Amino acid sequence: MNGSDLDAGHLPPRSRGVIALLEENCTVCMLCARECPDWCIYIESHKQTVLAPDAGRPRVRNVLDRFAIDFSLCMYCGICIEVCPYDALFWSPEFGYPETAIAGLTHERDRLRDWMQTVPPPPAHDPGAPPPREAQAASPGAGPAG
Amino acid sequence: MTGAQLLAGAARHLPSARCAAEEGTVTMEVPREDWLAALAFARDTAGCDFFDWLTAVDEQDHGLAVVVHLYSIEDQQHLFVRTLVPPDDPVLPTATPLFRGAAWAERETHEMFGVVFEGHPDLVPLLLPQGFEGHPLRKDFPLAARATQDWPGAREPGEPAASARSRRRLVPPGVPEGWPPA
Repeated sequence: MNGSDLDAGHLPPRSRGVIALLEENCTVCMLCARECPDWCIYIESHKQTVLAPDAGRPRVRNVLDRFAIDFSLCMYCGICIEVCPYDALFWSPEFGYPETAIAGLTHERDRLRDWMQTVPPPPAHDPGAPPPREAQAASPGAGPAG
Repeated sequence: MTGAQLLAGAARHLPSARCAAEEGTVTMEVPREDWLAALAFARDTAGCDFFDWLTAVDEQDHGLAVVVHLYSIEDQQHLFVRTLVPPDDPVLPTATPLFRGAAWAERETHEMFGVVFEGHPDLVPLLLPQGFEGHPLRKDFPLAARATQDWPGAREPGEPAASARSRRRLVPPGVPEGWPPA
C-alpha cells in the first residue's frame, strides 16, 4: 500500500473488489450457490449430530467442509451477497489478487475468511435518510413506517 | 435535424419505415429492402453521420434483428435503425460504402450471429479463432461450460454429494426447460 489513488482504501464506498466470507455466519443453506448466475460458488458440507447441554435430544446441524469462489468465472454481480440471509458474504474493495495460473483464482474458505479483515464498515447514511428498516422494526414509532 | 423533423423526413423519404421518438432518440424500423436507403437517409438527410455501433438480436422464430446506432453530433440526436432478416436467409447489403467504420461491426455480427453482409470487402472472423464453428450469440448455440460442468447448487445442505433422493427437483434459475438443446 503506497497511499496512491489506486490503493483500495481510496476507492468509493461499496466498491467491488473481492467477496469475503464470514464463515461463522454461514449455515450452508446453499442459496448463494443456487442463485449464482456464473455457477462459480462451490460448497461442500456434511451433517453432524451435536448434543447441546440444555437440549433434550441431539440436534443435527450442517457443517461447512468447503466454500470456494472461482474469481475467474465471477462477474462481480453481488447476487450471492444480496441473497445471503445470514450476512456471511461481504464486498471488500481489495482488487489486487492477480495470479499466473488460472486455478489460483479459486479462493478457498481460508482465503475468503482472510478477506474479511479488509471489509470496511458500512458508510454512514445520507443526511435526512430514513432510519434503517431493522431499527424501525426494533423500535416502532422511531421513524416513518417503511 | 431534431426528432420531430426526423420523423417528418422519414415519413416523406421512407414511407415503409415505422418510427418512434423519445427524448433525443428516434427508433426507425425498416424492411430489409430499405436498409441502405434508411442508412443513406440517416447520414445525408438527417445528419446522423456518426456511426457508433452495429449488432444483431436473435429474435428466434421472427428472425435476426440487425440494429445500428447512429448519432448526430451537431443536433445531439440518437437514431436507431432496425431491420429484421429471416433466420433461413440472413442476408443484408453491407453498410460499408456509407460508413467505413461498419466493416468491423459487420464482421463481428457475421461471426456471432451468422448474418451475411453482401458486398462486404472482407467478411472474415474478427474475434473468434480460425475454424470456429457456429454462431455463439444465437440463442440455440449451446454453452459448452454449462454442458461440461454440474450445477453447484444441486447439492442439498449438509449432503456431501448431490443426492437422487432429493424431494424437489432443483433446476438452476434462469436456465429454460430443455436447455441446452441436444
